Amino acid sequence: MAQGAITFLLQIVVFPGFLFLVLAALFYEWLDRKFVARFQNRFGPLHTGPMGLLQPFADLVKLLSKEDIVPLAADKLLFSATPIFLATFPLLALFCVPIVENTALIAFEGDLIFVIFLSTLIIVSMFIGAWSSTSRFSTVGGVRACLQMLSYEIPMTVVMTGPVIVAKSLSLSKIVQWQSSGFWFVTTQPLGFCILSICLLAALQRIPFDIPKAETELVAGWATEFSGKKLALLKLAEDFELVLAGAIMTSLYLGGPSGFWFMPPFAWFMAKLTLCILILSNLRALFARFRIDQLIRGLWQYLIPLALFQIILVQLIPW
Amino acid sequence: MPSTIKIPFGPQHPALKEPESFLFEVDGEYVVDVVPRIGYAHRGIEKALESRTYIQNLYLIERICGICSHAHTTCYTQAVEEALKVDVPSRARYIRTIVAELERIHNHYLWLGLLAHEIGFDTLFMYTWRDREIVMDLLERISGNRVQYAMNIIGGVRRDITPEVSSEITKGIEVLSERMKYYKKVCSDEKTMLARTTNVGVLKAKDAVSLCAVGPTLRASSVKRDVRADDPYAAYDEIPFQVVTNDGCDLASRVATRCDEVVESVGIIQYALDHMPKGSIEVIVSRVIPSDEVVSRVEAPRGENLHYLRSNETDKPARYKIRAPTLANLSALCKMLIGGYIADIPAVIAGIDPCFCCMDRLTFIDVNSDKTWNWKCDELRRHAIKWHKEQ
Repeated sequence: MAQGAITFLLQIVVFPGFLFLVLAALFYEWLDRKFVARFQNRFGPLHTGPMGLLQPFADLVKLLSKEDIVPLAADKLLFSATPIFLATFPLLALFCVPIVENTALIAFEGDLIFVIFLSTLIIVSMFIGAWSSTSRFSTVGGVRACLQMLSYEIPMTVVMTGPVIVAKSLSLSKIVQWQSSGFWFVTTQPLGFCILSICLLAALQRIPFDIPKAETELVAGWATEFSGKKLALLKLAEDFELVLAGAIMTSLYLGGPSGFWFMPPFAWFMAKLTLCILILSNLRALFARFRIDQLIRGLWQYLIPLALFQIILVQLIPW
Repeated sequence: MPSTIKIPFGPQHPALKEPESFLFEVDGEYVVDVVPRIGYAHRGIEKALESRTYIQNLYLIERICGICSHAHTTCYTQAVEEALKVDVPSRARYIRTIVAELERIHNHYLWLGLLAHEIGFDTLFMYTWRDREIVMDLLERISGNRVQYAMNIIGGVRRDITPEVSSEITKGIEVLSERMKYYKKVCSDEKTMLARTTNVGVLKAKDAVSLCAVGPTLRASSVKRDVRADDPYAAYDEIPFQVVTNDGCDLASRVATRCDEVVESVGIIQYALDHMPKGSIEVIVSRVIPSDEVVSRVEAPRGENLHYLRSNETDKPARYKIRAPTLANLSALCKMLIGGYIADIPAVIAGIDPCFCCMDRLTFIDVNSDKTWNWKCDELRRHAIKWHKEQ
């Protein structure tokens, strides 16, 4: 019993829990930066560690040591709480994703809904942070973040029901187990996979959907007033969100850690996660930024009907 | 309660590379009115010019603008040469033309990158700025400098273009031309880019003319007006070229116009290199300029530069007035912004290729009441005399 408790604790804190996820988040930030940089004919991180591998970590430490400024007019409590919320929610959601084996650390019937709920809470926290910092740029950014959420969340949730209907479960772990026979949903629902990628790009607020943080219009959007330790947490939260997005894609459509051949499940998961993050990075390098009205119109006009079409297809052809 | 709100934009804003302030009146996401407030980067250049000799002024004029430094010195030397009634050797005129066109290529590459950055297309930004290195290297090969070329002197140019440099330029501009054709294709094919540029910042031809727009901004509204063709200077009267126009009247057509201009510039440079006359590159001129009044015009990359010189038989100008293209485009810019989206403001402002530091001359601002006004030269003098009497 005691041994079981210790193992569980170790799993939560070290692997595949907190420590592993922090390292993975920093690594994937590096990968994303490097990949986009190579796309843009730049070098990307180069000097800290081998091939700049430690650059995200160095950035984090640097930000932690910087002065932490809170605007005079800000709501101090909410303003300080926002970065903690933002870093916690994606981390918590990641505990529901199976990484090492086919069952996640936290697995129960309906944990997919819990993950979706957490991803909504992330945007709500952004809005709270924006509102409490009382800056004009932040407020506009926060409002835009919410508008964006109203557009991408519906097709995202609709399209997520595709695997749910086939696997007959609302649990990420069960969906992964269903796919472990080697029958991945990406092969039967490729449209769903594409829609999910686009929606996640919007959820991550990356080009072409980086409207809430549009650098040239809103400085840093809802995050404008955050600095020092708070900004460090925000950056870490962003990396967690990136890993979460990749993990959701992996679990729902690529069969999570399940694989074949001699590679261990964990290696399979990492390989698939890397692929998903590379897809997200690749898309980031290809486009210009949309305007908020164009985004809302585009997502409602095209993505929601397409998502519904995908669900109808799943209903008609039951696999 | 009014249904509109006022949003200040600048003088410090991430979309502005230089300080300038615009007060926007917005109704929801739409811009209803805009009031620009200029003068943040006033450097007193015109007064400084009057207290320096013509030779010293060359250096000062060069520093009006980083990007169009050659256009400004060309304009200045032309004015002084006309007052002196000297003819510049034709080889020098060709070299001036070549450097001016290389500068135009440089500017348009830079501008395309900046616009791409404003609309969040960072990949294009990185690509254009990488290719901009080619033209900067060429300019360095000619003049020794990457930005402030210091090529013009009164009566000619400082350095010659040797056959080796000439062949390097030929190689370089070929690459630049190919790359620009590719970027034009990207800008006219890429859906997100089109979404942000088509029908954005519309300026009809009628408005463009009545609001005195200049340069590519004017030509993108299908008005064929270019100082190089209308009032040829340097060697433009001997070089065949097309004035590029576009009838889209929006931001996308401003992109297309500038892309085509680069290709046209490459043609001009190649022709000039092939037909460059032999001979000296400068004439020795007097340091004292006879009394005269001259207006000189040059088509800078951003539009028409206008310099006015009044000399008084000394080695210093009595009055020197500079009108940079951005000032001419400012009222047209306000017209473009009204009726557009707030999110398009940075892109539209970037669309005229603004250079506020070149533009700012003199305006009076009462910071307490936020009132601004302008004075003519004699009004200012009268005020100064009155002020000193009261002291």
